[in-house]
Amino acid sequence: MGKVIVITSGKGGVGKTTSTANLGTALAMIGKTVVVVDADVGLRNLDVVMGLESRVVYTSMDVIEKRCDLDKALVKDRRVEDLMLLAASQRNRKDDIKPEQMQEVCEKLKEEYDFVLVDSPAGIEQGFRNAAAGADEAIIITTPDVSAIRDADRIIGLLQHQGIDSINLIINRLSPTLVKKGNMISKNDVLDILNIDLLGVVPEDTGVIASTNRGVPLVHNDGSPGAEAYIRIARRMTGQRVPIPEMRDDNFFSNILNWFSRNK
Amino acid sequence: MENSIVKLRGYKDGLHLIINPKVSLPEIETAIHELLGEMNQPLAGTSIHIDMRPPIFTSEDLSNLETHLTEKYDLVVSGVNVFDEKNESPILAAPATHSISQSLAADNHPDLEHAQIVHQTIRSGQTTSCLAGSMIVYGDVNPGGEVVAAGDIIVLGTLRGNAHAGAHGRLTSVIIAMELVPLQLQIGTYVNRPPVGQKPRGYPEIARVGAEDIIIVEEFIKF
Ligand SMILES: Nc1ncnc2c1ncn2[C@@H]1O[C@H](COP(=O)(O)OP(=O)(O)OP(=O)(O)O)[C@@H](O)[C@H]1O
Ligand SMILES: [Mg+2]
Repeated sequence: MGKVIVITSGKGGVGKTTSTANLGTALAMIGKTVVVVDADVGLRNLDVVMGLESRVVYTSMDVIEKRCDLDKALVKDRRVEDLMLLAASQRNRKDDIKPEQMQEVCEKLKEEYDFVLVDSPAGIEQGFRNAAAGADEAIIITTPDVSAIRDADRIIGLLQHQGIDSINLIINRLSPTLVKKGNMISKNDVLDILNIDLLGVVPEDTGVIASTNRGVPLVHNDGSPGAEAYIRIARRMTGQRVPIPEMRDDNFFSNILNWFSRNK
Repeated sequence: MENSIVKLRGYKDGLHLIINPKVSLPEIETAIHELLGEMNQPLAGTSIHIDMRPPIFTSEDLSNLETHLTEKYDLVVSGVNVFDEKNESPILAAPATHSISQSLAADNHPDLEHAQIVHQTIRSGQTTSCLAGSMIVYGDVNPGGEVVAAGDIIVLGTLRGNAHAGAHGRLTSVIIAMELVPLQLQIGTYVNRPPVGQKPRGYPEIARVGAEDIIIVEEFIKF
């Protein structure tokens, strides 16, 4: 029996879909069986980020309305074994699905797969409630800015209220140089406010946009700082003890410089 | 929403029905009927406080009124506050769950006798309140979170959100936090908004209403 993890944030555009695609891929790369579920009904884009857009035939809506079997609706990833996508319907609206229906789908999936990662839409309304309905655990994505942190805090409160105890944090798009200049909230300040366990820190990485556009998750692109961060996080999710590297400014710089010289 | 006998006011802690007790109970009930009859939203299930000035009702009148509000309008009476004639502070703030007649006989500062304790971070969008006394928070109060108390508020953590002490007007109430960097403090009706971007000072602070009727904040050393 696997587990269902909702990946959510409150605020939009902070990296939920990017994180779902990369963590799903990374977990499958280290030998886990994974389904990534797009719960962003009406605005689906997890399939695009994974490069599977053209292969989507059925969606979770078809499963819920019994137009096809769950197994048949799952799209196999092109690159990694044991990685599946359950796409969201683009024709429907978020309130066309009820939380119980999502929960039922997730419960079936976790009987067969180690990890069911649910990409939540932004906001705290029905779409979020659907995404969180079947979750055993949650991963909160935040960027180090005041409004994203505020929304993350709100979401944590709602998830705790729903009885989800295991809530971990990913801080995305951290730029140590900006933190050092005092222009960005530091990792410790974020943790101080949100007061939940840190699963990892993903640095600002220009490779993300390129990989999104190509439909190839970053983790396929070995060695980029973002990819390494996601791979470390995936290993932590499987219970391995992987330290969170201190992204101090000077380290970070020399890391990047090293990386550039290695890739020249 | 008002007529000369009853008024309905929304405060932070919810709806208050403010009653002029100088008229008889049947007159009050008629006035309530007029007031609630003209509302376009149904209030069923809402919890309200009853606020009044002396002369105080008999406890029998009070419980009749409470029954009336519950049975006729499906309202939940969550508290009864009786205000002192001269100053704004309530001389009685009783949760309705206690027997009202008992509370009427209690001493003048029940605010000080009760404290509610919560062991959690008060996060954005969450409110925790103690309308019958003081509030102690073992944790932080985050921006967008709020603590409301009839008495004092003590935060054994960082207060980054809003705190409203003396919510029924008790101006001697204080707010104490291990780190005090709030968005807004309120004591009674006095409001204080510290400058934005304030850094924590690294020592506990206390906020109270000072001589000039403004909220002053200083290092907390002892009571
Ligand atoms: N670590 C990063 N470095 C640079 N760009 C990033 C990073 N993470 C995400 N982005 C960019 O931010 C944008 C939003 O990312 P994404 O779509 O994953 O966010 P989301 O939280 O799913 O958004 P929505 O709330 O709209 O669903 C994308 O253009 C993505 O390429
Ligand atoms: Mg998204």
